[in-house]
Amino acid sequence: MSVAAELAARNRERFEGFPEPLLEAYEAGLRALEARLTPTRLENWSRGGLDLMAVSLRSWESAAEYFRAGPRIPEAAPWETWEQLAGEAASLTEQSAPLAVSFLRSAPETLALVGPNHLAQWADLGRRLYKGNWKSSSLAAQFYDAGPELFAAIRMSQAGRLTLFLDELARHSYELAAACLASAPEVLGRLDGADRAPFLTFGVELAQSSWADSRLYFDRGVALLQRVHAPVRERYLLLAARVARDHSRSAFQYFEDGAAALGEVEPDAHGPVIELAEQLAPHSAYAAMDFIGNSPAVLEKVRIDELPAWQAAGLGILAASREGGEAYFRLQSSRGEEVLDTLSARVELARVGEVLRLYAKALTGRDISIHAAAVLAEKGIGWVDEERASTEGTTIFLPEVMERHRDKDENFAAMKVFATHQAAHLEFESFAFSFERPSALFEDLRPTLPERGEARPATEIERFFDLFPDRALASDLHEIAEDARIDAAIKRAYAGIRGPLGRMQREELARRPEVSELPLRQAFVENLVRVSLDGAGAVRWPAGRAEPMAGGVAILQRLTAAGATAEDAAEAALRLYRLAIGIRNERDESEDDWDALPEFDEQSLDLDLSGLGGDGPPMELGEAPEGESEYESPQEIDFRGEFKPELVQLLMKLRDGAEQGDAGRISPEQLTEEQLRELLEKSAEIDLDALLEGDLQQTTGMFLSNLLKEAGTPALDSDAQSDQPLSDLSTGADEGEEPLAPVVTTYYYDEWDFRAQDYKPRWCAVKETALEEGGEEFYEETLREYASLVSQTRKQFELMKPELFRKIKRLSDGEDVELDPAIEWMIDIRTGVSPTEKIYWRRNKVERDVAIAFLLDMSASTDEEIARRDQQYDDAGDDPRKYLSWWVTKRRQELAAPPKRIIDLEKEATVLLITALETIGDDYGIYGFSGYGRDNVEFYVIKDFEERFGEATKRRIDKVTPIRSTRMGPAIRHAIHKLSATEAKVRILVLLSDGRPQDHGYGRDRTEKEYAIHDTRQALNEARREGITPFALTVDRAGHDYLKTMCEDMGYEVVGDIESLPRRLPALYRRLTE
Amino acid sequence: MLAAEEFTVREEPYYLPLGDEIELFEAAFRQRIPVLLKGPTGCGKTRFVEYMSYRLGQPVTRISQGGDGPGEAGPRPFVTVACHEDLTASDLVGRYLLDTDGTRWIDGPLTRAVKHGAICYLDEVVEARKDTTVLIHPLTDYRRLLPIEKLGQVVEAADGFLLVISYNPGYQSALKDLKHSTRQRFISVEFTYPSREQEAEIITHESGVDMAVSIELAKLGEKVRNLKEHGLGEGVSTRLLIYAGRLIERGIAPRRAAQVAVTWALTDDLDVQRSIEEVVTSIFE
Repeated sequence: MSVAAELAARNRERFEGFPEPLLEAYEAGLRALEARLTPTRLENWSRGGLDLMAVSLRSWESAAEYFRAGPRIPEAAPWETWEQLAGEAASLTEQSAPLAVSFLRSAPETLALVGPNHLAQWADLGRRLYKGNWKSSSLAAQFYDAGPELFAAIRMSQAGRLTLFLDELARHSYELAAACLASAPEVLGRLDGADRAPFLTFGVELAQSSWADSRLYFDRGVALLQRVHAPVRERYLLLAARVARDHSRSAFQYFEDGAAALGEVEPDAHGPVIELAEQLAPHSAYAAMDFIGNSPAVLEKVRIDELPAWQAAGLGILAASREGGEAYFRLQSSRGEEVLDTLSARVELARVGEVLRLYAKALTGRDISIHAAAVLAEKGIGWVDEERASTEGTTIFLPEVMERHRDKDENFAAMKVFATHQAAHLEFESFAFSFERPSALFEDLRPTLPERGEARPATEIERFFDLFPDRALASDLHEIAEDARIDAAIKRAYAGIRGPLGRMQREELARRPEVSELPLRQAFVENLVRVSLDGAGAVRWPAGRAEPMAGGVAILQRLTAAGATAEDAAEAALRLYRLAIGIRNERDESEDDWDALPEFDEQSLDLDLSGLGGDGPPMELGEAPEGESEYESPQEIDFRGEFKPELVQLLMKLRDGAEQGDAGRISPEQLTEEQLRELLEKSAEIDLDALLEGDLQQTTGMFLSNLLKEAGTPALDSDAQSDQPLSDLSTGADEGEEPLAPVVTTYYYDEWDFRAQDYKPRWCAVKETALEEGGEEFYEETLREYASLVSQTRKQFELMKPELFRKIKRLSDGEDVELDPAIEWMIDIRTGVSPTEKIYWRRNKVERDVAIAFLLDMSASTDEEIARRDQQYDDAGDDPRKYLSWWVTKRRQELAAPPKRIIDLEKEATVLLITALETIGDDYGIYGFSGYGRDNVEFYVIKDFEERFGEATKRRIDKVTPIRSTRMGPAIRHAIHKLSATEAKVRILVLLSDGRPQDHGYGRDRTEKEYAIHDTRQALNEARREGITPFALTVDRAGHDYLKTMCEDMGYEVVGDIESLPRRLPALYRRLTE
Repeated sequence: MLAAEEFTVREEPYYLPLGDEIELFEAAFRQRIPVLLKGPTGCGKTRFVEYMSYRLGQPVTRISQGGDGPGEAGPRPFVTVACHEDLTASDLVGRYLLDTDGTRWIDGPLTRAVKHGAICYLDEVVEARKDTTVLIHPLTDYRRLLPIEKLGQVVEAADGFLLVISYNPGYQSALKDLKHSTRQRFISVEFTYPSREQEAEIITHESGVDMAVSIELAKLGEKVRNLKEHGLGEGVSTRLLIYAGRLIERGIAPRRAAQVAVTWALTDDLDVQRSIEEVVTSIFE
């Protein structure tokens, strides 16, 4: 009999009363292990199982599992492991049999993964999760069950952290912990080995501070973390953990934002960014995380090597004031933006456009707009480059950003040179070229040349270019000549720009291609470009054939003279063309050295300059000979941008037509479509392939319609005025079918953050719209209801009407001597007393010059009914019958006259005030405000300042209804904006509210009051600074507490008896303005 | 007590004629037609009246005097009153003052000018109270009378009296427009900014700087005036350019001089300041 069989037989009776499978498992185990274990050990193993059976009522289950596990235990496991397993099983079974079952079930596989040494550790981890209740037992069981899967992914030390995390989570929710555990193998498996521990460490912190986010973290954390550059992930997580340690609910949010932000930053920059953030962390973990979160936005503006400077400035603020520093790194402080601006060396057109616009206007005396070059390219009217500066006659187009230098001033100077060059085209009349107008410096050749074009040319400059067989060459030469003239004119007229322009020319010269490698004609043109850049010294030309080159240089240099005109440039281009076309466009094969040009006596070149026409037969301008290399235009010059005189002249002509009422169509006297088509096809300025794709017919059609559209809107400037509010007119395409949506105009205002002691720039969007119109009944009804009060108010206000002149007495100087003091004066003199000098009177003109803005709180709380005092519940006493009859009466009354709400009284007060104001003739505006959140402060116009009181006003009052929150600051700021536009001497802002300012995000949370109150106070202060008298009126009886802070030394009043509001308001107004 | 200056112009003021304004003024003076000078601030209106006062004080031609040197005409008295919004009729006409023996009548500047046959120049006349028009009307038509209500007198203007008023259409508010009944009693001479060359000449003369600098200053003036209505209420005056010239003459760097005399003097709007600043740095090295 084998050892196994003997053991089985010996112990059979102990299985009495246990389910059959137990014995089966036992016997199977024995059979399987017989070969592996010595008889003693087999017996020991068997005893271990049998002991388990005896532990408790259900312990046989764990014993069964024990027997089943035995054969699966890895071969390599030493005997100690067997014993250990039995010991752990026993102790677990004592705690909970199901726990032991799970443990034993996955123990063999887990052992294979973690090795025998870690068995105890693993058992302990599970035990830690077990708290004695069934939920914890099932979590711990789940932990054991997951063993094989888990340890396929992670190591034991990491499992330790996971357990910590689960343990922490389980304190709040077992379900959550279970879910996290379930996904743990998969989630952790996706992470790099080195990242797992830190990932879990942060998880623990997160579970402590905001456990509810743990699920999110487990779901999304890995993907997020992987956006962070691998070497710094751990450091990043440590930073994020600091926020969590601060008991912040938003730790996950910070983690998510930061990781997302880093994803947008170059991986190489992660290290420096994290390092800088680590320096901030000791002061404020939030600042550190915000710094990371906003790093993409900041790096938009500054280069990575400038980031430390920006961080250092913020660190200084942070060290002094935590709140201020945090706002700085949240990018919610003006100071932060300033520092950013100073640091950022690049110049953005959006920021300097307005300055350059006025600058260009000053230079040219014309209404110039400034736009980004991309705008011009989008128009599809011949310009395609989105980067290069240009002009189309009314607008100067500049590159969107200038970042060629490391210094902001230099970048601005560069932008200014760009703008100046374009403005100079307008100032020095590049586009006013006239074919017939004589030039100033040359003998005119234009009239002597045969005109080649068949159709009547559309523009003067087109007629000029028609003279040339090779338009591309002519266009290049003309551009060089004209630019040479323009640059010279700029240098002559603007000494201050000479330096930067010269510098730019030198930079450009340094960038020019090697001239000796070009075919000769191109080399000739290239040399001309160099001359035009004031670089005559940089000309290189084969020594043996210097003459044409010297001629070209001399022609070009003549254009730098004072008084050179666009016609001179044209004449120069003609001569240059003749010289250029005479040079074959082939590489120089001669042995000549490419030298600087020798000195030439201009006299000796005279023939080329003026003798071209002469008395002989009319000269033909030559054509490029066959068989040479194809001519290519010279390399572009950055600061000069694109010069398209043909298109500009065409546009100008179309615009003139449009202004004369031919908008959008071509009048036959002006231009024919044929002419346009022809121009389009032959002009060297338009690269049709680049302009639009598709077949030529379609392209030209599109181009033409674009051009006409452009010309139909003469100024292009409708949106250039930066101080204009942005309007989103939602008129839609199907006009007329629906009533027009109300016009909403959006304004942006700063908001005061009292903690940071700084404004949050452009924080609130105030949306102004006219209030909907209702019926007039409310207005009329109110007048009837308060008939006596109305007439009384009117009378009072009529008394306030100023007399035009008021006599002021006892002045030391005036119109005339006043009798009484004069007599006194005489008496004083006679009696030897020193007399008073004040014996004159004068009439002083008294002008009543008052404007008042009236701000109505339309927050939801104004919906509250006003309990009438005479209808208190306690009137009825305790007698239920009395109460019933009281209630019935009350209901009846309410049905007859519904109870008034605060808003109703506000409305009535407004009606009364209007009658008063109309009597006295003061300028006034009535506005309501409400909204929700900083992006949506609604500002309703009931009556605007310049608007006249009328039926519409009456109807709008009817629609004053409670809406949402009360963000007072921006509403006040907008009212200030309105008041400032009036010219009155006395300006008043009355704020009528029913409670404290309150809004979503108006403070750290909904319950915080200080932030809102401080911002409101700051807004009221701003009003005072503008010379406006602010006055706050509230019907909130508790108003005294916060009004004291809010208004400090400004006027305020709490109207205790709400129903007296309609009476109080006019009286108050009288007091304020008398 | 009263913004009035009264003096006789003894030295020839510098004035560079820009058009035919001298001939016009002379003719008007001979015909005793009141003159209205229109034009922006600081373009030389006051200087022009001063100059004319001097010039008209000089004998017109020596020949008519028989070659005996300056004739009896002598220097012509000249009265300027800068009008302000509280200027009343009695400020112009006169008032009673008290002294030890009772009251004494003191003539106002207008009365003195009327009596002495001076040129009376009311600067920025629309600023004055409307009651002054009561005085202006009888003085400016064929009657040439000044009623002095308080004395019960009517003073007839002496022969050389001429009323000259100035008016800046650009800068007053809509409320303060000159009424037609007043306006149509004057011939109207328009002043504009001088051309670049003329302005440079004036700057050089008044400040002593080189013509080269003056040309640049005049160029600056011209460019800045392009911004009128676009951020600037009023273009830069010749007077300010002269100030800049004077500062340069005293050794201030041109850019700095232009900054204080032009950029900052003109506007408080930062954007506009910056733009002007850019024009300045473009023009001056």
